[in-house]
Amino acid sequence: MAAFITVSKRPILGLPFLLPSCDSVSLELRRSQSSYRRTKQRLRVKPDASFGLSSDKTQDHIIYNPPSSSPSVYHTPTKFLPSDDIRRSLRTDTTADHLNTEGLPSVLKSPLGKKYHLGPSDITEIRKLRLGDPITWSRSKLAKRFDCSPTFVAMVCEAGPQKKEIQKQVLEAVQSRWGAKRRMAREDRKLRKETWGRDE
Amino acid sequence: MPLRGIRTVTTARNGVGAFILPCKRLDFHYCDWAGSSRGMLAFLKHALPKFATENPQIEIRVSPRPHKHPIITGHYINGREKSICVRNLEPEQIFVKANLLKEASGEKLKRTKKPVTSINESVRGIWSPYHGGLKSV
Amino acid sequence: MKRLQLQRWSSSALSSRARTGGRLQRHLYSSNRFQSTNPTPLQSEADQSFAEEPSIPSTTTPSPKFTKYQLPSPPIQAARESAKLAALHARLYLPSRLPLETLARCLVDPSADSNSQFNNVPLAVLGHDLLTHYTSEHLICTYPRLPLTVIFAAMFAYAGPKTLMAMAREWGLEHAAAPGGEVDPGFLQFKRVAPGTDTNAEPLIGTTRPNEDQKTWRKSITSSVVYDNEFGDPDMAGVPSSESSESAIQTQYTEGVTVEQASASFVRALMGAIYLHAGRPAAKRFFEQHILSRHLEIANLFSFNQPARDLSRLCARENYEPPVAKIISETGRKSRHPVFVVGIFSGQDKLGESVGASLAEARTRAAVAALKGWYLYSPLNVRVPSSMEEKGAAPWKPVYVDLGEVIV
Repeated sequence: MAAFITVSKRPILGLPFLLPSCDSVSLELRRSQSSYRRTKQRLRVKPDASFGLSSDKTQDHIIYNPPSSSPSVYHTPTKFLPSDDIRRSLRTDTTADHLNTEGLPSVLKSPLGKKYHLGPSDITEIRKLRLGDPITWSRSKLAKRFDCSPTFVAMVCEAGPQKKEIQKQVLEAVQSRWGAKRRMAREDRKLRKETWGRDE
Repeated sequence: MPLRGIRTVTTARNGVGAFILPCKRLDFHYCDWAGSSRGMLAFLKHALPKFATENPQIEIRVSPRPHKHPIITGHYINGREKSICVRNLEPEQIFVKANLLKEASGEKLKRTKKPVTSINESVRGIWSPYHGGLKSV
Repeated sequence: MKRLQLQRWSSSALSSRARTGGRLQRHLYSSNRFQSTNPTPLQSEADQSFAEEPSIPSTTTPSPKFTKYQLPSPPIQAARESAKLAALHARLYLPSRLPLETLARCLVDPSADSNSQFNNVPLAVLGHDLLTHYTSEHLICTYPRLPLTVIFAAMFAYAGPKTLMAMAREWGLEHAAAPGGEVDPGFLQFKRVAPGTDTNAEPLIGTTRPNEDQKTWRKSITSSVVYDNEFGDPDMAGVPSSESSESAIQTQYTEGVTVEQASASFVRALMGAIYLHAGRPAAKRFFEQHILSRHLEIANLFSFNQPARDLSRLCARENYEPPVAKIISETGRKSRHPVFVVGIFSGQDKLGESVGASLAEARTRAAVAALKGWYLYSPLNVRVPSSMEEKGAAPWKPVYVDLGEVIV
């Protein structure tokens, strides 16, 4: 990019989008660029640096220009290749991702980490509490008390039949108040979620 | 069930493995009386045996069609058919018409706008603005 | 009376006890096709009606006026005269060693002619085994990590009845309106299902699976390897044959079959016929040219339910670092059309990435991409075991065998 800017006959301020930061001064200087010639001239971009000759210019080299498209699923990640596969050694250095994986933000808000801090005695207590008084000891309350996730509570024990019945009635009562629009929107959302797993 | 398989059917690619000629049958109709069939009669007598031996994969039927113009009808594997009227044509011209029907795919004629039509995925994938040389701002 | 005697004689020759006979019997079958009795009730009625008529001299050839309409399927002599059959033979580039008579026999469905000496059942059994054998070895050697459900789906896509019907249609095969001896042998001969028949209401009785009447019992995928057929469907044919089951098969054939079943049995029978007449290399070439050359996107056969959970189980099994979803890039987070690009990382390595309109969607899709990356691994220079059957094949190197799919 830098080479292009030095070669270009136009003043840099006329091409504000090439600058790393568009300040207000350059924006004011920009004028309407609508002619065919100017557009073609703008598109006359120099090829990527990797396409040119290497610095020492003595030997042939491989041009590595990854496609600007989402990766194909048929391209097995290097980690998934068996240890005796030849592609594992071929890919080592050149195709390493330039992403700084440490700096990327996580999708989940809380850092995911399994603690495995509950023992068999805790689990029996969870079961006892949930079966004994299911109204007070809901899943979220149990999760908060034992410092685990509600999913874990659901994995460990099941609610009693009465609690299940109550919960079913509550759900029915809520759903009976839905109109056609909301019901349809909910169903659509469920269908859309199923397409995620099919990758459509 | 954590993972299910989706049932589909494979797509045919005629010519990738074996090539099946789309034309499966040619019907030749003639009239013994009418003058417009003169070329057709000559074609049936002299050129058709050679044409049939050269194209064994086409079923050939010859039948009279009295008091009508001679026609050739091609039947194709997609279920369509194409007919050409060959009245007053010379045997050589009829041969050209029969060849035309033999080489047709049976589809409706349509204008091809793209140089390549393919069901294969492109090598470099579909361009996406979120991939490739991302510039951090 | 002579006619009745002949019937008794030929039926004894056709009975199952007398089927061990060799050349003589075969000669009788091939030359005196019209003399065979037919076990279908319709045919026996016709026989009785003929028996009441003034007797035909049985030693000479009966007049074709009677025989042609009497036969359930076209006679063998008609195969040489059919232009349609010869055109089909040439269109498929069948080897010249495969005679037209066998091709005509491939076109006779058991619903048209229930005599297995003349219909395509024996050839179809062999052809079906060959087709599924070649398909399965190709799939398992090319994609050794495919889960079983996907293998079943891919088998169905390559060699299932729907595909075989599509193939028969693309070969330009035409169907006879009703089977009979007077029909051109180039048509597919089968008895159609009566209109209004419910094809889906199939009684699942007589399968190989034990306790099949227990509808609520769970059917595991692993058990379908043992009990079900190549496509993961209940296997009806594996029942050891007895008198009752044979009569059941008879009633099934007399009821008629769908176009799909008849076309599929024709393609299978053709495969078996090529194997018998032209040998193994020709059969393999036929398979590669007509079945394997068809296009199938294997990546579209997967349908995951909880991909994130599967992926974390996979990483735990393979001793990788636990997978973490990270945002690679995003745009328009608070807008109406946000786009998130999420990658799944295990340590420093990226396992998969995908795009979604919400963080949850992008994360799920990225997990799907990572799992597909695992399952769709394909080794280089794949060879199938049947390639060793050729003469002068290179020494066999063991193929990659995977641990199996992720079990949650």
